[in-house]
Amino acid sequence: MRKLAFFIPFVLFIGLSVFLFSGLFSDPMERESSVLNKPLPAFTLPDLQQPDNLWTAEKLKGKPYLLNVWGTWCVTCNAELAYLTELREQGVMIVGLYYQQPSDAAFGEVFNLAALQQEVALKLEQQGDPYQWNILDKDRTLIFDLGVTGAPETFLIDAKGIIRYHHIGDINPQVWQQKLAAAYQSLEE
Amino acid sequence: MKAFFLSLLLFTATAQASQALIEFQSPEQQALFKELTQELRCPKCQNQNIADSNAVVAVDMRNKTLELVQQGQDKEQVLEYMKSRYGDFVHYQPPLNKFTLILWLLPALMAFGLVLVLLLRRKAERNAVAMESGDKAQPQQQLEQQLDQLIEQYRRKS
Repeated sequence: MRKLAFFIPFVLFIGLSVFLFSGLFSDPMERESSVLNKPLPAFTLPDLQQPDNLWTAEKLKGKPYLLNVWGTWCVTCNAELAYLTELREQGVMIVGLYYQQPSDAAFGEVFNLAALQQEVALKLEQQGDPYQWNILDKDRTLIFDLGVTGAPETFLIDAKGIIRYHHIGDINPQVWQQKLAAAYQSLEE
Repeated sequence: MKAFFLSLLLFTATAQASQALIEFQSPEQQALFKELTQELRCPKCQNQNIADSNAVVAVDMRNKTLELVQQGQDKEQVLEYMKSRYGDFVHYQPPLNKFTLILWLLPALMAFGLVLVLLLRRKAERNAVAMESGDKAQPQQQLEQQLDQLIEQYRRKS
């Protein structure tokens, strides 16, 4: 009994150390997405380059694809464009969901669609264009319904419009191989 | 230097003035909005509530909260709306389920352990006191007996 009591603080110390040590390698941004295995929320949003063309959740059904949330203001999105373009060349269908940041009226910012279209076209020309088309979410309504916290984030959506995977952060060869490739291929079949 | 501090003062004054004022239909709605924005957690920033953060997503959540409150939704409805999009993470009050059970059990377990340790220690102390008084009583008697014997011996000799 005495000996046991002697070891209790030691065991507690080891337990605490292991707990804190594992914390060093855990990602605080990683958490279960609440939209997983649910259908893409209903929306009606314009195409970025052809605003007369309205996209809905219904129109996007029929083929598995990646829904990539991005913006020209987002540095990491910029960095993943090249790899996403490679994926497109391999036959992966990628739809862009353009994350428009709020214009700050206090700084005299006004939303200008033509300027944005030009900026996006230029960016995609320089970095590579992975997108079949871009959906413009000016007021971040679909982005809000998808539980997006920032950009870039990517959703894997199956042919029936069900969200199968939610990835926060950029897509690089490692992430694609480890997390998304298998899931995408299983949906393709 | 004085001018510099004065201009700083001016700057804070204008910065405060640029915050939009929100008008509520009733004091209850205002209180609910305040409570919700303090209890809802910004999903982008680590550990800030949405009242405190100016991240884009926090501002959007604040606006949505305001919209829902002004529609007359109650606290539970707004929380449910947010949780269905951003998960349980978004509320500072975690729900009781199998993953969070330990949060409720651990303090009780620790209190139980503490009481157990105190009881055991008290018992051990009592035993030690009893043993000590027993140990002392025994040799005292023996010594006195030995002394008596010695006195007896010397008496006979003399």
